[in-house]
Amino acid sequence: MALLVAGCAHADEEVSIAPLAPASGRVDPGLGPGTRALSSGPGYKGSPSWSPGGDRIAFTVDGYVVDKPTDSGDQRRWTTRDFFAEVTEWVSEDTLMILGAAPAQPTRTQEISSSLYKARAGEDSLGLERVRKEVLAIGRGRGGLIFALGSGTYESEIALARDDGEVYRLYTRPIRGRVAALSPSPGGAEIVLAVRPPGDREISRLSVFDLRTGEAREMTRLEGNQEILGTPQWTEQSLYFVAGKRDTPVDSDGAEPLYYLYRVSQEGGAPEPASGVGEDFVAASVRVSPDGKRLAIIGRLNPKAPANLYVLDPLTKALTAVTTNEDMEIKTGPDDLAWSPGGESVAVIARGIPSTEPEVHADPVDRLLKDFYNLYEIPVGGPEEAP
Amino acid sequence: MTRDIVFWLSGAALAFLVTAGAFLLLANLAIAPSEKSLKPDETPGGSGHAVDLELDGERLASLRPLPDQSLEVVVQNEGSKQLSDVNVTLSVSSENTALSDSRYYRQTVEEIPAGGAADVRFEFDLATPEQPGARLPAVTQEPSREILELRATTPEGNSTVRTVILPP
Repeated sequence: MALLVAGCAHADEEVSIAPLAPASGRVDPGLGPGTRALSSGPGYKGSPSWSPGGDRIAFTVDGYVVDKPTDSGDQRRWTTRDFFAEVTEWVSEDTLMILGAAPAQPTRTQEISSSLYKARAGEDSLGLERVRKEVLAIGRGRGGLIFALGSGTYESEIALARDDGEVYRLYTRPIRGRVAALSPSPGGAEIVLAVRPPGDREISRLSVFDLRTGEAREMTRLEGNQEILGTPQWTEQSLYFVAGKRDTPVDSDGAEPLYYLYRVSQEGGAPEPASGVGEDFVAASVRVSPDGKRLAIIGRLNPKAPANLYVLDPLTKALTAVTTNEDMEIKTGPDDLAWSPGGESVAVIARGIPSTEPEVHADPVDRLLKDFYNLYEIPVGGPEEAP
Repeated sequence: MTRDIVFWLSGAALAFLVTAGAFLLLANLAIAPSEKSLKPDETPGGSGHAVDLELDGERLASLRPLPDQSLEVVVQNEGSKQLSDVNVTLSVSSENTALSDSRYYRQTVEEIPAGGAADVRFEFDLATPEQPGARLPAVTQEPSREILELRATTPEGNSTVRTVILPP
């Protein structure tokens, strides 16, 4: 390493890069007025989950789990950096249930078998307690956590757990197929399941499971290599899910396979395209509001349009564009949006368009926003007011 | 009569000068903040911009994810006093925060004259080490970008940061 004090004559001979303006907290991220950054710095973030009181938000960063206050404050890590979390669910203000794989499990050559872990704040925060092995999906119900367990190669079971993770009901009648995702009905007495039927490559069946009787019934089944993407949602009126052909070849311009938003009545039957979003609407992810009256959707008005956040009122069929962003890439993973507990805002994950040239900033890396995927809280208004 | 005319002309000229002066003063007040805003923001911990960091754009573009990379940084003393013992650090890390492979380099500039500058050359490893448990992000298969964070700090605590994000 060489060190040379050279005076100021050399400065004019170099092509120096001026740093971009510091960004933290001051620059409109391009997601509309009132938008607030909930995270900053590098890391591939995903699966946001609000605490029951709404004052903290948990999410995954490059596979491990962190949370932080939604106003200001430091990030808190819940798992070691080599943990691989898929989904997190708060069961109380200081307890997270985490579906994921511990580092000792294989990650490259074999299919990951996920387990359900419990983590408590204030204790040894990186010490996880394994609740169950071979857990397929989790969801938050009225009385605690609902989860699906793998049972043999082609079957699943549903279990209910209290907030402390103790399983208090295991439904013995198995469900044919592997449950890939689940979510509760507005009343909490039933759950909707996305299921991969025995022998199928695709998650093609939508079923409803009655938590009172322990019986499952098929609502609909997709044909022709179509699959359900992410977690189906249950509004006051109908069931909604995102689906499309997984095997759709990627276009020469690199476009993603196209998925659409479908609706099925609570009595079941053939799925139909969701009303109100428009014929060309391409959906990526969908979440029902806490009151069951609205759907937050990340999607595109047409395949060439930028991804934005929309809110659909299934009753009036009114679709509201919450963001009209063209400068940010909103992340389109099936679990990459979450309603706040009060239903007044939605957390999404977005970043600016990555540069192909080196970029110089005048901020420390942990304060940068648009250069990395980060969480943003976007106000959507109450159910009676337009965003 | 002539005296009256001279009196009124003098009064009018004086009023004109006072009004023009007031307008000039207001105009200067309005301009001052926008000139100030062109300066980059301070980093917490510094009480002023005593040092600045300049990076060569072409050199940054030529960096590769390999060992034995080098980068020259120009540390400028923007103050009116000579600076001594300015610490310059380079942190090299990955965009993938699950990789615990951050590398740190440090150099000290003994003296920088007032208004002068010093060249600091870092030689560093930009290769991403293979880690058994390392994974690409689950959804995207994009390769991770490398991040350089440069910081110059004076003994008084004035600090300037430059963060460089290198495309894959």
